[in-house]
Amino acid sequence: MRITPTFLLAAALGLTALGGWQLGQGLYMDAKAELAQTLLENAWDKSKQTGKPVKAWEWADTWPVARVTAPRVKGTAIVLAGASGEALAFGPGHLSNSAEPGADGTSVIAAHRDTHFEFLKDMQIGDAVELEAHDGESHTYIVDDLKVVRADASGIDPREPGKRLALVTCFPFNTTEQGPLRYVVFATAEEDLI
Amino acid sequence: MAALTLNTDRQLVRLFSLLPLILVCLVLSIVGAQANRLADISPNVSYVSPNDMQRGALLLKGKEPGKFVEAPVLATDVDIQVTGPTGRTRVTQRFENPGEGWVEGIYVFPLPEDAAVDTLKMVIGDKVIEGEIKEKVEARRIYEEARDAGQRASLVEQERPNLFTNSVANIGPGETVIIQIEYQETIRQSNNTFSLRFPMVVAPRYNPQPTIVHTVDIDNRNGWGVIDPVPDRDRIEPPVQHPDDGPINPVTLTLSLDAGFPIDRIVSHHHEVRIERGERNATLTLKEGDVPADRDFELTWTPEEGSEPTAALFRETWKGEDYLLLMVTPPYGEEAQTAPAREVIFVIDNSGSMAGESMPQAKESLLKALDRLKPTDTFNVVRFDDTHEVLFDTSIRADRENLNVARRFVRSLEADGGTEMLPALQAALNDPLNDTSRLRQVIFLTDGAIGNEQQLFEAIVDQAGRSRLFPVGIGSAPNSYFMTRAAEMGRGAFTHIGSEAQIAERMKELFLKLENPAMTDLRLVWPDGVEAEAWPTPLPDLYRGEPIVLSAKIADGTEGTLRLTGKAGDDVWVIDMEISDEAPNRAGVSQLWARRKIASLEAARTMASGGGADWDAFDKEITEVALAHHLVSRLTSLVAVDKTPARPAGEELTQTEVPLNLPAGWEFEKVFGEPDAAAPVMQRARAGAVRSMLAAAPAPMMMADASQTQGIALPQTASEAPALIAQGIMMLLLALSLLAGWFLWMKRSSNGSLFERRPSFKWRW
Repeated sequence: MRITPTFLLAAALGLTALGGWQLGQGLYMDAKAELAQTLLENAWDKSKQTGKPVKAWEWADTWPVARVTAPRVKGTAIVLAGASGEALAFGPGHLSNSAEPGADGTSVIAAHRDTHFEFLKDMQIGDAVELEAHDGESHTYIVDDLKVVRADASGIDPREPGKRLALVTCFPFNTTEQGPLRYVVFATAEEDLI
Repeated sequence: MAALTLNTDRQLVRLFSLLPLILVCLVLSIVGAQANRLADISPNVSYVSPNDMQRGALLLKGKEPGKFVEAPVLATDVDIQVTGPTGRTRVTQRFENPGEGWVEGIYVFPLPEDAAVDTLKMVIGDKVIEGEIKEKVEARRIYEEARDAGQRASLVEQERPNLFTNSVANIGPGETVIIQIEYQETIRQSNNTFSLRFPMVVAPRYNPQPTIVHTVDIDNRNGWGVIDPVPDRDRIEPPVQHPDDGPINPVTLTLSLDAGFPIDRIVSHHHEVRIERGERNATLTLKEGDVPADRDFELTWTPEEGSEPTAALFRETWKGEDYLLLMVTPPYGEEAQTAPAREVIFVIDNSGSMAGESMPQAKESLLKALDRLKPTDTFNVVRFDDTHEVLFDTSIRADRENLNVARRFVRSLEADGGTEMLPALQAALNDPLNDTSRLRQVIFLTDGAIGNEQQLFEAIVDQAGRSRLFPVGIGSAPNSYFMTRAAEMGRGAFTHIGSEAQIAERMKELFLKLENPAMTDLRLVWPDGVEAEAWPTPLPDLYRGEPIVLSAKIADGTEGTLRLTGKAGDDVWVIDMEISDEAPNRAGVSQLWARRKIASLEAARTMASGGGADWDAFDKEITEVALAHHLVSRLTSLVAVDKTPARPAGEELTQTEVPLNLPAGWEFEKVFGEPDAAAPVMQRARAGAVRSMLAAAPAPMMMADASQTQGIALPQTASEAPALIAQGIMMLLLALSLLAGWFLWMKRSSNGSLFERRPSFKWRW
């Protein structure tokens, strides 16, 4: 293979285009995650006022169902119904086959490790987690377990008695690959702890 | 300085000779990242088959958490008798309750779409109870009363013209109840091939999710108001057995064929059979004895050359009136010399239900059809799952270039997602060019696994215009009711491709129909003074090789000459037929007449949509015919009750649905998704399927839920963003260094300034 100036230039331009596109996509995904939370704030406020699900934007196929806050590490996010790839791009998703947020049983909420649930890695046992359910009522949970599990063997049984919360994100934190491991922060309702 | 430059340049050149290597490494790292993602998904797939699930542990979830009910075991025996152009089938279902409690079994089963179901028998021990035909509501009331009183009862209801349910109440612990259902049908004939299909499995249907309409004035807790396009979704979604748990519902089948003419070939398309044959008759049994009910049974037979029948007439006298069944294949003559110019719209279904064997079959069929287009034709391609895409803005010339674009498009399709057929159908029927110099044909390749047939029929009626609709049913269990009806309303023809081996032959038959002018303006002229009620009315257009199949009711003993006229292209033809009192008598002809009358009335009822439509009048007439002829219909059901109470008062009855097999060639994961909330790749479509599926069973649900042992499955929570950003930056850096290299190179080869070499270069505005 002979390398000519033209080839070099073409390769450089090609790489610029491809690299630019990838960078753009990546930044766009992050921006989308940021922006969506702002729009979701409005929808969530409206939804609490009216007591009905309100979509943040017309074509959304999910809607806010709760707000989760970790006061010590200053993390907060609006939780969406369902944990489809589309929902997770905009905010943490509530797994529809787990308990309702704020209800008895284990409620599972998952989000991306690089955006909405970045704060999970800083959480410790004993931290408080505030959860505001769609009826506006606030529930306090206390973190009592931190665990790394496989996605297909989480050991979480949403029907287990007790009011619990499981916050899920990808593990390990500082890689760019998508792997089979998940980091789970378990918390139990304050009233159940007494 | 000069030395340094030279040195740097040489190093640069050496560096750039490494360039291909660098590029390869880069590509590998990207591929590696993708592979990682795949590796991440695969554990979820294997997760579907938990090893601790025992075969036979087919449990249905009970009303209370943690309590299970064992599903009734079912075995089916099918006995088909074909005499000339009619077939009579007896289906025997044996329900066995292996559990400890009293159960009610509900079994959803398919039958041919033109089946006239007229008999229900319930056998308990040596007692046989005959079912009676009642209006649907009344039949259900009788059944429920008997069920609650602890009596054994059975109820056969029509859910769709090709889909029935059989409910059997009060099967005691360890007890067996046998139900027999009988029906009559007409044998299909096309291009001298006679065929019969016995559907064995209900393909899980994709029911579009309710459309969100508004959020006001509704229940405060869950909020959304809905118009559900599939009002009866919970009735037609039985639990489905995961293939790893082994097939259930074994079926045995025997068929005796009395063709009425010397038979040349008999072919069973999807099952191995043992055939004993004479000149005009044959007996068949399935080779493996009993087979799982996971694919349709299809048999075709052809007459010996020279003895092809072109007409048949059978007669039955019933309650003082005569009924006729008449089949005529019009003479078609030579193939048309000049095929008419056509505008062909291909629609291909690439939804999740097509995954497995169906998708390659659909693609190959479509590619074959593309090959048949002539440069004078125009065409377009539409694909759909839960979204749809139209390849070209409008229909364009079928030249080589355009065809190649279409071929590439078709080859790249993959089956995934839900089945939102309506928008795709509307896009295909939309005819903005209105180029009347061409025949407009819409070829629709799908398995028809949908539950909103009525919506689609209405779209066809309203929007077909001059377009002709040719549904091509793909796979081992297509929804042939939907496709036959769609073809009828779209004035086209239905083609069924059940396996790879059938593609060439069936598509050839379809091309014959597409490329030759249809027989139009068919008319019947009865002898003077004869009052006759003939169905279907009006007569449909015929395509090359298709016979006219007609049922008529006339006064007892009527004789005379019946005249059929029609047009093929510009030629007019006439056939005279002698209606003699001596015509062979055949039981069941009257029921076929009634069945066709019901089908025609149902079709007319669909067409009569709009403001002034008098649906009640249609319903009343349908009920009358069905009751008079003892037929199950949308409005009538068969019910049998054993008056002797069986279940002691105080014992509880549990309702369970009998699970179905997935049709052969379907991929469980594509249709229902991986269990629970696995990887979110096709969450939207799957969520619909699974959730409504689980909601289907009022109390029980299927136990394929493995969360008991492994816990809930967690979704992918790493976005691609960081990887994309990192790769992007890397590539940009590499590009920058290449650019620098290029700059230096150019500088060197121009002895100094790069720009001095091209003095003539100027910006022009």
